Amino acid sequence: MMPQLEGLLQALNAGLLLGAHYGLMCVGLSLIFGVMRVINFAHGDFMMVGMYAAFHLFTLMGLGALFGKEAGPFIAALLAGPVLFVLGYAAQRFLLSRVTGTRVGSLEGEGHYAQLILTLGLSLILQSGGQILFGSVPVSIPSDISSEAWEIDLADGALVLFINQARAWGAAIAAVLVVLLVLVITRSRLGKSLRAAADNVQAALYMGIDVDRAHRITFGLGVGITAVAGGLLASSYPFTPYVGLEYVIIMYAGVVLGGLGSTVGAFWGGLLIGVIQQCSALLLPTQLQNTAIFVVFLLVVFLRPQGLLGRVSERT
Amino acid sequence: MLISGKGVLRPTRRDLLAGGAALAGSGLLPGMVRAQPAEGGTVKVGLLVPLSGIYSRFGQLMRMGAELGIKHVNEQGGVPSLGGAKLELRLFDAGDSTEKAKNAAQRMVADNPDLVACSGAYLSSFTLSATEVTERAELPMLTLSYSDLITTRGFRYVFQTSAKAGDQAKEALPILLDLAQRAAGKRPETVAILTDNTASSLSFVQPIRENAAKFGLRIVMDETFTPPLSDATQLIQKVRSARPDVMVMPITVISDVKLLIEKMNEFGLGRGRVPTIGNGIAMAQSDLLQNIRPAQMEGFITVVGNWDAKGQEAIIEEFKRVSGEPWMGQNSIATYGDIWIMRDALEKAGRADRRAVAEALRTIDITGGAALYYPGRRVKFDATGLRETAGPVVVQWQNNRPVTVYPGDSATAEIFWLKR
Repeated sequence: MMPQLEGLLQALNAGLLLGAHYGLMCVGLSLIFGVMRVINFAHGDFMMVGMYAAFHLFTLMGLGALFGKEAGPFIAALLAGPVLFVLGYAAQRFLLSRVTGTRVGSLEGEGHYAQLILTLGLSLILQSGGQILFGSVPVSIPSDISSEAWEIDLADGALVLFINQARAWGAAIAAVLVVLLVLVITRSRLGKSLRAAADNVQAALYMGIDVDRAHRITFGLGVGITAVAGGLLASSYPFTPYVGLEYVIIMYAGVVLGGLGSTVGAFWGGLLIGVIQQCSALLLPTQLQNTAIFVVFLLVVFLRPQGLLGRVSERT
Repeated sequence: MLISGKGVLRPTRRDLLAGGAALAGSGLLPGMVRAQPAEGGTVKVGLLVPLSGIYSRFGQLMRMGAELGIKHVNEQGGVPSLGGAKLELRLFDAGDSTEKAKNAAQRMVADNPDLVACSGAYLSSFTLSATEVTERAELPMLTLSYSDLITTRGFRYVFQTSAKAGDQAKEALPILLDLAQRAAGKRPETVAILTDNTASSLSFVQPIRENAAKFGLRIVMDETFTPPLSDATQLIQKVRSARPDVMVMPITVISDVKLLIEKMNEFGLGRGRVPTIGNGIAMAQSDLLQNIRPAQMEGFITVVGNWDAKGQEAIIEEFKRVSGEPWMGQNSIATYGDIWIMRDALEKAGRADRRAVAEALRTIDITGGAALYYPGRRVKFDATGLRETAGPVVVQWQNNRPVTVYPGDSATAEIFWLKR
């Protein structure tokens, strides 16, 4: 009985810790969709750029030497956020603004076709550009705690829980960031302008809100948050310029599970995916880990198309 | 073109000749018009490997080996029987899926009717799909891929230089078990199998699953996963519960190696507490140095098709200097050797013609030249295209780098078995 219980607790622990990272990624994607109504196919690739930004901040910019291999990776991950915010802000200003915001009224399909093609194109450019710039050698941020665990003995050695230190700190940072983001969106003037731009572009314009600026900030924030999530994973997961492809589907599943347009819902969606992914291995062959995610995803689409915390008007 | 009194088109002899020449030039007549006059000129050989996507790193290593091979062949006089013709390398990107590999092979044969041989395609699944195309085009393809299926399909234009994965397991496992008995005083009795579901990994574990009792082993855990993993906790938790005497863990993706090895260390199972035998390059790839503390790899064993060996020191040093790589692993050394096999086959064929080269490969039997770059030190292919003396090479991490420990004539270090 004890081995099964230990397996279950270990699966829950791994799922929650990994899920918190997924949740943070999903929050970034959800923010962009919620405010701008843009399905960003390049989101995983922006995360990849964030991972490389964190890696180079740690190795080339001296954060590793300054803060060591315990705290350094987390500080590098947090600083990757502002770097990607600037990149996202510029991408929205010079590229996406042409197919989003106030201009889309005159475009076919409210600009969705153009957005789709543009973000897919951006994805390809980031992947190929990444290979030229960073090469194809997998790298990860050196960390002293990526293979260290807190051992919690729950039954005199018969039931021991291993909590990975890097993942635990990463999950804690992810949770704090989501809380801060929710506070910004719900309590600040900036958050109000973002919500206004999300609810009704025309009305927001009439109220004197600079919708294009709101969109620029939203896109920057969205990719910046996901970059932090990528940076937090970068010490335990080797990555290449194609790493985004491995996560973008999980991000979409998390956003839809949580509810399109719901920032908090996206976090819970990502968390749920992590738990399903890890716990499914207790019942199903390990090969079906990701299949289990999409079975649950399909069930949610059938039974609750608006997602767990989404509005009925926002159906998948 | 003449038109008869009844309005029927009646081609002249000149029209037929012109049409035939156009068809030959377009490559639409496979195998009919391929002989190239290479006297003192160049002969084109191909390398079909992943140069983009998640496997591109491995393709780059194969490219480095092939380019060094081309350089050395040309510096040493090219192909003497073709008047010193130089070899020219053509690169083709197999991408990151079997579909892309097959498309690349189709482009390779359609756009390059003058290729005489090629090497590729890294993953067994890529090689299996690419050789469907090269076989129809009668283009000989040399491969390091391990899958048992590569040379069991009745194909005549594929030549496998490494031991098949199943044979590697059958041959290497008894050696390693004997070693464990000598070192630890007790022969391992239980085994855990933890494998990804790529073709070569599955081929490696299949004979262990089928013949565990013959090896004197009892399987206490058997898990297969789809790479890449997102987290290894569940898998290593199962290893921890099963407590095997030895674990067989063929893995093909570096991120999975890091996740699994670090998790083993985290759970107190690393550094020999559960002796682990892998298969393939991923557990000995130089990229691991940038992703994992090498001390965590100490003692890990992997069975491969080729590795740098005694007697290759000069080439290895040049490779390291030119490429900046810390060692010359199987992808580079085998592709380097493939270029030399192509050169020897061209020399034997005396014609820059792909069918003649294939025939030369079927009858070649050498123990010098290209043979120096393969375990067993002999290049002779059997009727299926498998190199007859191909056997496993056992590599072990020692002092922060993987070294050849078996077979004896190639070994650069003694193997050791960590006591539990």
